Amino acid sequence: MDWGKYRSSSWDELIQADGRPRPAARPLVEYLAGLSGRELAERQVAADVAARVMGVTFTVYTEGRNVDRTLPFDLIPRVIERREWERTEAGLRQRIRALNLFIGDIYGEQKIVRDKVFPGALLKESVNFRKQCVGVKPPLGVWAHICGSDLVRDAAGTLYALEDNLRIPSGVSYMLENRLVAKRVFPELFETSTILPVDAYPSQLYDTLAALSPRPGDTPVIALLTPGIYNSAYFEHCYLAQSMGIELVEGGDLFVDDDDCTYMRTVYGPQRVDVIYRRVDDLFIDPEVFHPESVLGVKGLIRSWRAGKVALANAPGAGVADDKVVFAYVPKMIRYYLGEDAILPNVPSYLCSEKKDRDYVLAHIHELVVKPANESGGYGMLIGPRATKRQHEQFRKLVLANPRNYMAQPTLSLSTAPIITDQGPQPRHLDLRPFVLSGRDIHVTTGGLTRVAMKRNSLVVNSSQGGGAKDTWIVDLDEVA
Amino acid sequence: MLSRVADNLYWFSRYIRRAENTARLVGVSGQLQLDLPRSARFAWRPLVETVGAADAFAKLYPDSADSASEADVVRFLLVDPGNPLSLRGSVRNAREILRTIRDTLPQEVWEAVNDIHLYIDEHGERGLGRRYRLDFINHVIDGCLRVSGLLTANVSRDVGYQFLRLGTALEQADMTTRIIDAGSSGLLRARSGEDEEAFRAMQWMSVLRSLAAYQMYRRHVRQRVTPELALRFLLQNDQFPRSVLFCLSRGITILPSMPSRDAVGASLKRVLDLVRKADPVKLAKGDPRPFMDQLQRGFGSLHDTIHEAYFRT
Repeated sequence: MDWGKYRSSSWDELIQADGRPRPAARPLVEYLAGLSGRELAERQVAADVAARVMGVTFTVYTEGRNVDRTLPFDLIPRVIERREWERTEAGLRQRIRALNLFIGDIYGEQKIVRDKVFPGALLKESVNFRKQCVGVKPPLGVWAHICGSDLVRDAAGTLYALEDNLRIPSGVSYMLENRLVAKRVFPELFETSTILPVDAYPSQLYDTLAALSPRPGDTPVIALLTPGIYNSAYFEHCYLAQSMGIELVEGGDLFVDDDDCTYMRTVYGPQRVDVIYRRVDDLFIDPEVFHPESVLGVKGLIRSWRAGKVALANAPGAGVADDKVVFAYVPKMIRYYLGEDAILPNVPSYLCSEKKDRDYVLAHIHELVVKPANESGGYGMLIGPRATKRQHEQFRKLVLANPRNYMAQPTLSLSTAPIITDQGPQPRHLDLRPFVLSGRDIHVTTGGLTRVAMKRNSLVVNSSQGGGAKDTWIVDLDEVA
Repeated sequence: MLSRVADNLYWFSRYIRRAENTARLVGVSGQLQLDLPRSARFAWRPLVETVGAADAFAKLYPDSADSASEADVVRFLLVDPGNPLSLRGSVRNAREILRTIRDTLPQEVWEAVNDIHLYIDEHGERGLGRRYRLDFINHVIDGCLRVSGLLTANVSRDVGYQFLRLGTALEQADMTTRIIDAGSSGLLRARSGEDEEAFRAMQWMSVLRSLAAYQMYRRHVRQRVTPELALRFLLQNDQFPRSVLFCLSRGITILPSMPSRDAVGASLKRVLDLVRKADPVKLAKGDPRPFMDQLQRGFGSLHDTIHEAYFRT
């Protein structure tokens, strides 16, 4: 593989501006340089076959039928040096501690509002604030047990937090499977370099869930609640249930009895469930409380949860902090609750609800990324420099009509890493989604899921919009002899 | 074990077993036809009744009625999208069910079922013609047996496994009676009276072959094939795994490993008694079909009892 012509216009994860590999990536880059085009192509085919055989898919529902697609997987791993990762990990731990304290406070005394650090007005208009959660004290004081934070690096090489997914973040199964594929394809590199393992996640997730059981002492009965086979993340639901050895249930498998306990329908009769890792959105989880027509949820589940008879992860209402406007306040939350400075900087954000910021956004809309507060999957946003004048005008109107619902960030030139193409290695933009587990302890995945835009110059990495994935290597240089 | 998962395991194994039997039936019938003298005619239509799809067939081929052609019946039984009970339909059902319980069974089972599904999609049309039909059918049978083998070799003997076994046993018992049914319907139309006895023997050999039973019959019975002996073997042999008695007895041995439900045991014993008391000599002399229908109704009510006891909690 020829690195001679490889140049990125942004900060590249593997290759420095002078064309030499970054220290942590050197063994990988040299190894790849030693492979012929044909050897490389063979390995890519082997990786694709491995992914298909292992059944790494996500489901796309089109034309009335569901199709399993394989997530495009690029062979070349993204490499991060261990010392840098440790700083990042500390930043993620700090963030999730503050976020959980914030959610608990919001559904409790709202001290942060009283102390005028966080404007209460924002809550009134938050679509993810659930009044049914007010006054609830979930086990261990944790609301967001599983958090997927998206990190991006700008052209200067600084790693920023872009958003925190506190509702039902997905993608961790791809992180685990990507590693299995990479090991099959590059066994030599795993022998000669110290690449930290990622496979502790399922047992850490199990421990995190088990610690929430309302019946401590007994072996808890844990279930993963899935919306079913038509959900795009169904593969992941199966994968996680299987790797933890817990039940995979659908709404119809559960019911809440008069004693407020939640039960599964089994061939032995009803069996009590202690902990539910729910992958169904808040609004569909209980027709008694939310969407009455939802068939995905369980009637009475919120009642059972409020009574402390079943634990839900993530807790309903945790999404109140998963809001792109609330996001802007995370550094202030860290200061307020923990008395610390944020280790991991936020991507600078302009809140359209604030007049000064709004004026700036309206005047500079062509340079900014404008996002609605509560969309995910990259939908409904404007990338200013890539949009037409008409789209700018349209977004100005949207912002003015509902300022609370919009925030803007500078258009970062996301960092890149090489992917394999027919024209040799080519830079593509990427981000990183580490997963953070909070229960009795906090666990951060080793690296996370690297999502990469497979199209040249594209900044959108979401799988629903043609993004792919790479294995992420945290490399320990100190261990290299 | 969730009731929904148990329900799906039960139906998954039924569909796999149904697909395998359907494939065998079509394959053996085609072979029999090749062996026939010119004076005899092979009637394909009764095969449609075997899978209980007469209505769907009449809708798709309104003109062919009694004189249904080989091409129509083979297409109908193997791949016709208008026949939910076709080979392709059974495999598709098995696969759709498996999607919802993928976490319960080993990954290789999913791969194996997916392989059959893709194979049928790719080769189904070509497999209709006589030239490639046997290859196609054998490939599908191999695929189904691979699934059965994976289940036997690699699945823990928990309660879910019992539902797999129960589904297989009940489906095989049912298919055996259906194939006997078709065999008794005079697949062969002799053009002269004297050929008739010879043809009847050929026909029962074909029934035995459809149930992979011919060789075992020869070893156990050690007599040439007659309708009485073939019927006795397929209904009442206690060692051949596709005989009705064997399948139902297996059901009796499975029940103690399942949550206890009196109604299921009682229903199973009722139909087992019917089989034990059957008189093959008498059945062979007359028309065995009403008795096969009676057995099928017994399986139907057994299924309803199982459904009520385990899947509707």
